[in-house]
Amino acid sequence: MVNFSELILRKFRNIAGSRYEEIMKAYQEFFLTEEELQIPTINSILFAIDRFSGKIPDEVFDVVSAYPGAKVEVVYLIDSVLCGLIRETLGEDEARKFREKEEALGREILKKIESTLSELGMNFTMAIIFDDKVEFIENETESRDLLVISRHFGSESVKTHKVSPVVFRIVQGIKKPVIVY
Amino acid sequence: MNTQEVIALAVFLGVYAFIITEKIHRTVAAMVGASVVLLVGIVPWEKVPEYLDLGTILLLAGMMVVVNVARESGLFEYIAIKTAKLSKGNPMKVLLLFSVVTALVSAFLDNVTTVLLLTPMLLYITKKMNVNPVPFLLSEIFASNIGGTATLIGDPPNIMIGSAAKLSFNEFLLNMGPIALADLFITVAIVYLAYRSAIRINSSRRAEIEMLIVEMDENDAIRDRELFKKSLVTILAIVVGFFFHDQLGLEPAVIALTGASALLLWSGASPEEALEKVEWATLFFFGGLFLIVGALVETGFIDLLAQRIVSLIHSEAQAIFVISWFSAISSAVVDNIPLTATMIPLIKAMGSSMNTYPLWWALSLGACLGGNGTAIGASANVVVIGIAHREGVRITFGEFLKVGAVIMFSTVAVGSLMLWVRYGL
Repeated sequence: MVNFSELILRKFRNIAGSRYEEIMKAYQEFFLTEEELQIPTINSILFAIDRFSGKIPDEVFDVVSAYPGAKVEVVYLIDSVLCGLIRETLGEDEARKFREKEEALGREILKKIESTLSELGMNFTMAIIFDDKVEFIENETESRDLLVISRHFGSESVKTHKVSPVVFRIVQGIKKPVIVY
Repeated sequence: MNTQEVIALAVFLGVYAFIITEKIHRTVAAMVGASVVLLVGIVPWEKVPEYLDLGTILLLAGMMVVVNVARESGLFEYIAIKTAKLSKGNPMKVLLLFSVVTALVSAFLDNVTTVLLLTPMLLYITKKMNVNPVPFLLSEIFASNIGGTATLIGDPPNIMIGSAAKLSFNEFLLNMGPIALADLFITVAIVYLAYRSAIRINSSRRAEIEMLIVEMDENDAIRDRELFKKSLVTILAIVVGFFFHDQLGLEPAVIALTGASALLLWSGASPEEALEKVEWATLFFFGGLFLIVGALVETGFIDLLAQRIVSLIHSEAQAIFVISWFSAISSAVVDNIPLTATMIPLIKAMGSSMNTYPLWWALSLGACLGGNGTAIGASANVVVIGIAHREGVRITFGEFLKVGAVIMFSTVAVGSLMLWVRYGL
C-alpha cells in the first residue's frame, strides 16, 4: 500500500527545497498573529518624557487622539540618581542648580504638549517627577494601559544608540503595550 | 530485442519508477539513467547535443533568473496582497480572484513559483475567514495547471513541445488560450458547486475580514522599489518579445536569456546570487530525461511504437482523442515532464504518415491538464498540498482525487472537443 502523504511530502521537499521558508519569512511581517489581532482597551496613557526625548512628532499625537476617552498623564522625569551623583561629587548647590534647570526645561516642554493635547480635546494631567526614571515608569505602567515614550528617553547627549538602552530595558520589562516614537 | 534495447527500456522504466515513487530524488534518478545510457554507448557522445534540447533548458534557465531577481523586489507578495484586497473578504471573490490571478501568472511564469508565492496568502485569508481552505487551495492548483496550458512558457511540457515542434508563442496562445479560458470557468464552477456550503460566511464576519485585509498595504511588500519597477518592465518586455519572436526570427529561449541578462545588467543584481537560485536540479532533470528518451530513439523503440500506434489510428481526429486522453491519464500518475519527453519523439515519428500539427496541441492539453487528476500529477499540486500540510491543513490523496478526477475529465473532454472541432472535422 502506497503511503501517499509521505510520497507527497517527499516530492514537496524535492521540488520546493528551501524556497518555501524564504517566502514565508518575507510574508511574516504582513501576517498578524492571533495575539496581534487582539486590540487592547486603552483607558489610561502614561506619556513619559525627559530632556533627551526631543520633538514629539505629530503622528504620536494622532495616535494618542485615537483614544478619546483615555486619560493621558504626561510626566517630565528628572533623574534622581543623576542628581544624587552631582550632589556627591560637585556639592549641594550644583545639585540644586541642576534640578532647577531641569524643572524649567520640563515646564517649557509640558507647556507645548499641553496646548497640543488641549487642541485635540484630550483629558490630561501634567507633572514633573523627581525619581529613578526606569523604576518610576516600571511601577506606574502597571496601573496604566499604554506607555508612550521617545526612543531617545534616558539617552546620553550624543545619542550614540538609535534606541536608548533605558528604553530597551523598559520595553523588555513591562507587560503593557508601548508606543516608541 | 538486443541487449542495447533491453538496457534502454530497463533504464527508462527504472527511472520512471523512481520518479513516481521519489524514493530517490528525481534529478538523481534521471542523471543515473543518463549516465548508464552514455556509459553503455546507446547514445553516442557526438549525439548528446542533438538530444539535449537547449531550447527548453535555456528558456527555463532564463526565466528562472528573471523570476529570482524579480522575487527579491517583493513583486509577487505585492500581487498576492493586491489580490487579497480586491476580494474584500468575500469568499466567492477570493475563490474567483485567486483562481484567475493564479492562472494568469502561471501562464507567464512557472507554476511552482506562482503557487509557492500565492498559497501562503490564500491560507492566511481563509484562516481569518474561518472557512474550509481546501476548496480555495484546490481551485488554486487547478487554475495554475490550466493557466500554464495557455502559453508556450506556462508549463514545462509546453516549452518542450514548442521547442521540439518549432511552434510559436502566438500559435500556443491561439490554440491553447481559448481552451484554458473555457476550462478555467468550468473548474471554478465545479469547485464552487462541490463546496458551496463550505465557503459561506456571515456578513459581520465578512466586515471583520475586510477590515483586516484593508489594513494590509501592498506597497509595504515592495522591498526594493527600483528593482520592482525594473523587474516589471523586464517581464513585460519579455512577454512582448514572446509575442513577436516568430516575426523576429528568434527562439523563445533567446528572448528569455536576453531578458535575464538585461535585468541583471539594469538592476545591478549580483549574478552569483541570481544564478545560485536557478533550479539546477530541475535543469539537470530535464537533461537526464532527454538522454534517456534519446536512448529509446537510438535503439529504434520509439519508431516501432509509433508504427504500431499509426496502424491502430485511422484519422487525425482519432489521434487527437487518443493522444490527449492517453497523455492526460498518464500524466495524472507520472510527472508530465518525462511523459512529454517520451511523447515528443513518438509524435515526431508519427509525422511520416499523418499531419502531426494538431497532435502537438493534443499532447499539450493532456500533459498539462492531466496533472489535475491526482495529488501527484503535477508539481503545483505537490507544492500546495505540502504547504497546506505544514500549516496544519490536510488534503488527502483520496479527497484530491474525488474533485481532481472530475476536473481532469471535464477539462480534457472540453479541450479535446474544441481541438476536434478545429482540426478533426
